[in-house]
Amino acid sequence: MSYKCSRCKRDVQLDEYGGVRCPYCGHRVLLKERSRDVKEVDVN
Amino acid sequence: MMVPVRCFTCGTVVGEHWEEFDERANEGDEDPQEVLDELGVDRYCCRRMLVSHTDLVDVVSPYQ
Amino acid sequence: MSAEYDVEFVEREDRDARFLVQGITPAFANGIRRAMLADVPTMAIDTVRFVENSSVMFDEQLALRLGLVPLTTPPVGEFVEDDTVTLSIDVEGPATAYSGDLVSSDDLVQPADENVPIIDLKDGQRLEAEADAVLDRGKDHAKHQGGVAVGYRHLQRVAAVEDLPEFEEPDRRIVRGVIEEDGELVPTSEFDHDLSNRYPGQEVTLEDVPNSFVFHVETDGSFSVEELVTRAADTIESRATELENAVQL
Repeated sequence: MSYKCSRCKRDVQLDEYGGVRCPYCGHRVLLKERSRDVKEVDVN
Repeated sequence: MMVPVRCFTCGTVVGEHWEEFDERANEGDEDPQEVLDELGVDRYCCRRMLVSHTDLVDVVSPYQ
Repeated sequence: MSAEYDVEFVEREDRDARFLVQGITPAFANGIRRAMLADVPTMAIDTVRFVENSSVMFDEQLALRLGLVPLTTPPVGEFVEDDTVTLSIDVEGPATAYSGDLVSSDDLVQPADENVPIIDLKDGQRLEAEADAVLDRGKDHAKHQGGVAVGYRHLQRVAAVEDLPEFEEPDRRIVRGVIEEDGELVPTSEFDHDLSNRYPGQEVTLEDVPNSFVFHVETDGSFSVEELVTRAADTIESRATELENAVQL
């Protein structure tokens, strides 16, 4: 899972020990990055 | 957000007239009625699509 | 059922026409109208694969917008119902992605309008997608509806009967469509849809001409009006044949 810190805009890897927190600036709001997969959508 | 591509009621493609309408009637000071007549948007269902539309892309883009 | 009928064009442009059909029943006129709306197959985008979309709109919203863009529909026989045509779009901000930016893999299927804004892209935003267009009918989704605002009215016959009293204020007499005046066809837009402009100071009578219908047909650009009407008639015929075969033992 890759996330991006909403304050310092750096990429963050979350692991099970660190909790939800940016290791660089300590900010607790992380944004999930869009997956690189090609997404198929039906028009309807 | 962006202009609807087609008129909700009749299905005419109205999106293609948006930029000219916006430039002349919203940014410029021409009479919207005359601009719509010249663009060939005749029915009131299609006219309201353009008259009542507001572009919101600039409003929401800072929150990306 | 009589086979004799007349078609006469009143106004004729590529995407917009008005024509008079005489000698058909109201049921048949309505059948044609409904066939034009729901039964003529047209091309439209049906699935979209998003490679990158960092714009302010969701993939699904953009997919719907792409689906509504009219595409030119190839001649009958070139494609069958399950064939697909791939179109791709790749626009990087700051710019606006237009329907004209769609690049088609087939020359017969192109965006009919090139100026429809799909999405406004800001600095650093990008839209890259690939779309499949399929042939389908208005019945299944409005995006496949080739005819827009298709309708008909009775042809109306106008005759002046007598002069109005000299000092009487004339009432407005609003008529829309096409009138017949001594055998001449006159669109009502010529006199601002008001008969009192054409017959000042006169009392006029207005009556429907039986079995004469003035169709007003517009297309979304998928094909010309002639093409739409003939294809609509063909779909009625093929369904009639199907019915005939089904009831024969």
